[in-house]
Amino acid sequence: MRALLTPISPVTFRRVPTAFLIIYALLLALGLGLSTAYWAINGDPPFGSLRLGSWQAWPKLGSPEADPYMRAIIARRGDVPLATGEGLGFTARTDSEGRPLDSACTYSIGAVAPIARLWTLTLYDGDGRLPITELRRRTFTSAEVLRDSQDRFTITLSRTLQPGNWLQLPASGPFTVVLRLYDPPGAAGANLEEADFPVIQRLECGA
Amino acid sequence: MRGFGRFIIATLCGIVIAVGVHIVAILASPHLADRDAFNNVQSTLTAERAQLVSAPGGEDTWLPRPDPAVAVATCAFDLANGPMRIAARVGSLPLSFSFHKESGGVFFAVTDRAAVRGELEIVTMTARQLDEARAAEDENDPSRDVRIVAPDRQGFVIVRVVAPSPSLRPQAEEAAKAVTCTAEQDT
Repeated sequence: MRALLTPISPVTFRRVPTAFLIIYALLLALGLGLSTAYWAINGDPPFGSLRLGSWQAWPKLGSPEADPYMRAIIARRGDVPLATGEGLGFTARTDSEGRPLDSACTYSIGAVAPIARLWTLTLYDGDGRLPITELRRRTFTSAEVLRDSQDRFTITLSRTLQPGNWLQLPASGPFTVVLRLYDPPGAAGANLEEADFPVIQRLECGA
Repeated sequence: MRGFGRFIIATLCGIVIAVGVHIVAILASPHLADRDAFNNVQSTLTAERAQLVSAPGGEDTWLPRPDPAVAVATCAFDLANGPMRIAARVGSLPLSFSFHKESGGVFFAVTDRAAVRGELEIVTMTARQLDEARAAEDENDPSRDVRIVAPDRQGFVIVRVVAPSPSLRPQAEEAAKAVTCTAEQDT
């Protein structure tokens, strides 16, 4: 039996599988490489993020030092990021305790914001579009927000009418909040601290 | 077992090549993207004034996640015909220019804080055009232009004017549309 098997096995084991294994390796490389690249450019930039509480920003996104992932993501989105020196945009997808933002809940955002010439706070729905609500207001700027005697503000996010600064949430689904600082002093994100950012508190969740 | 060992080696080779494929795909995608910002602004190449991309309010725009408080206008440029001069009269509303490469990516930005006598004026040119402009310059009467060297021949400028309150939005839109971008024939 042995004498019969040994001359055959090198032939059957080497010729067919080698070609097969090369094709397998190349297909694996192509599939894995392209799918991970596709996944990467549809997400957030993997490096260089600045996280302060719930707020996240990519200060290098609008600078010549943007890494290849950032450039690929900008091209994919067709986006024009705020340049370093122009401003910086912070996105929040979670509340202060890390729970995802949900339109079924009521949130309060306050009471301070970082120093900038002007800031805007804008709501977007889960797909990144401006939500369509009865109130038709999706944004507050630092110039129009109502403040108390200590210069602090509270913006309430809710589906139902609220006193004071109120932004109406869309009927359902997740949403994001973007805080854009226009013309902040100093280089982008250099001297920002978490304590200067507004806190997103979840107040209650109704059905 | 030998077959299995070779299978493992083939898998590892596949993973190593996959890393290369991934890197190539990421580096190439800004050049292959057909829906990126430059494709959307290309129609403004010949315009003398900045064209509105996103009116304040953020309706009807290709710009993802528009800020409703900001008017965004754009000028695309092609430096093959000479440098481009972009100028704006600065008012009370915050105004800024950012200069982008054709493949995306910012190469320069400036706000109205840099304005001189109420005018913000930037000339963008290629490195060669800068050399020519310097050579042609009169030593006793140097140019006062602020010159920016563009890394690529093509690109676009984004003008942002922020309206602090909704009542100022029409004014912001006017300010954004009033920005001029003129191609300079051989300076």
